[in-house]
Amino acid sequence: MLAASAAALPWLLAAAGCRSQDVFTGPDPLAGRPPLGHNVVTLQAVIAAEQEMVGLYRTAVAGEAETAARSRALRPLLAQHEQHLTQLRARLIQPAGAPAPVAASGPPARSAASAAPARVTTARLRAAEHASAAGLVRRLATVEPALAQLFASIAASDATHVTVLADRALGG
Amino acid sequence: MTGDRAGHRGPGSTAVAALQAALAAENAAIFGYGIAGAHLTGNSQAAALQDWTGHNEARDTLAAMIQRLGAAPAAAQASYQLPFGVHDATSARALAAYLEDGVTTAYLGVVAVSDPRLRQFGALAMQGSAQRAAFWRGSTQAFPGLAPPS
Repeated sequence: MLAASAAALPWLLAAAGCRSQDVFTGPDPLAGRPPLGHNVVTLQAVIAAEQEMVGLYRTAVAGEAETAARSRALRPLLAQHEQHLTQLRARLIQPAGAPAPVAASGPPARSAASAAPARVTTARLRAAEHASAAGLVRRLATVEPALAQLFASIAASDATHVTVLADRALGG
Repeated sequence: MTGDRAGHRGPGSTAVAALQAALAAENAAIFGYGIAGAHLTGNSQAAALQDWTGHNEARDTLAAMIQRLGAAPAAAQASYQLPFGVHDATSARALAAYLEDGVTTAYLGVVAVSDPRLRQFGALAMQGSAQRAAFWRGSTQAFPGLAPPS
């Protein structure tokens, strides 16, 4: 039976022809969590942006000044954004206790209710949809293929929303 | 894609396969819009003509891209089997939406290749076909090109 103290370990390794760095490779378990992977970080940013979009739509649909026609037109778009959010969240696999999704830049994501203004115009929704589609396409280059396809599909959905929101009957 | 992992085909051939699939979808759309347009009138027929022209341009773009990658663009078929009978304006609009869905799905394959420029190209093409599909269908979809989540 061999018993060795920590101080004696380098000598034992040397006797075996090994160096300590040959043995202790990989992440140091005492150094804290490893950084999140690129796909996870990107997905978190996209989820945060989608949450903001859902918040905008909820505010727009619930506004007191909304006409019935505008609410009817916006509800299916809101439902589709909620589906986007569900699918994006389903793709997110991260260690338990990891921080909640935050926006890629700027302050942490606020709750949708506090971030949204009292009145959300159709023009604002259209601009948000356009920006979302463009932002998702920009993120395609660096993520895995399956995630790129999901982003591209959501961007295409957003692009169709831009067209719907261009209808003059929906007002500004 | 499987070709890359298996090592039998390189990234270039995967890109060619994806572009050929998009080209096949564009050729089918060109044929189909010819059928649909014959059952439409007025603004709808004008829209079908505009979309038919757009698919011809997309076909030429894809053919040039495939040639630049050193491959021969696949020829269009002489005829295509329609998914359902087209007898009136309603079924013609449904056919146009069906064709655009097929184009969107094909470009989704281009988004999966490793070349970032091709990914962007495929994604932007998807936006155009999804918008046309929404026009013909009269409603938008949450996930154009993807199978509905189960």
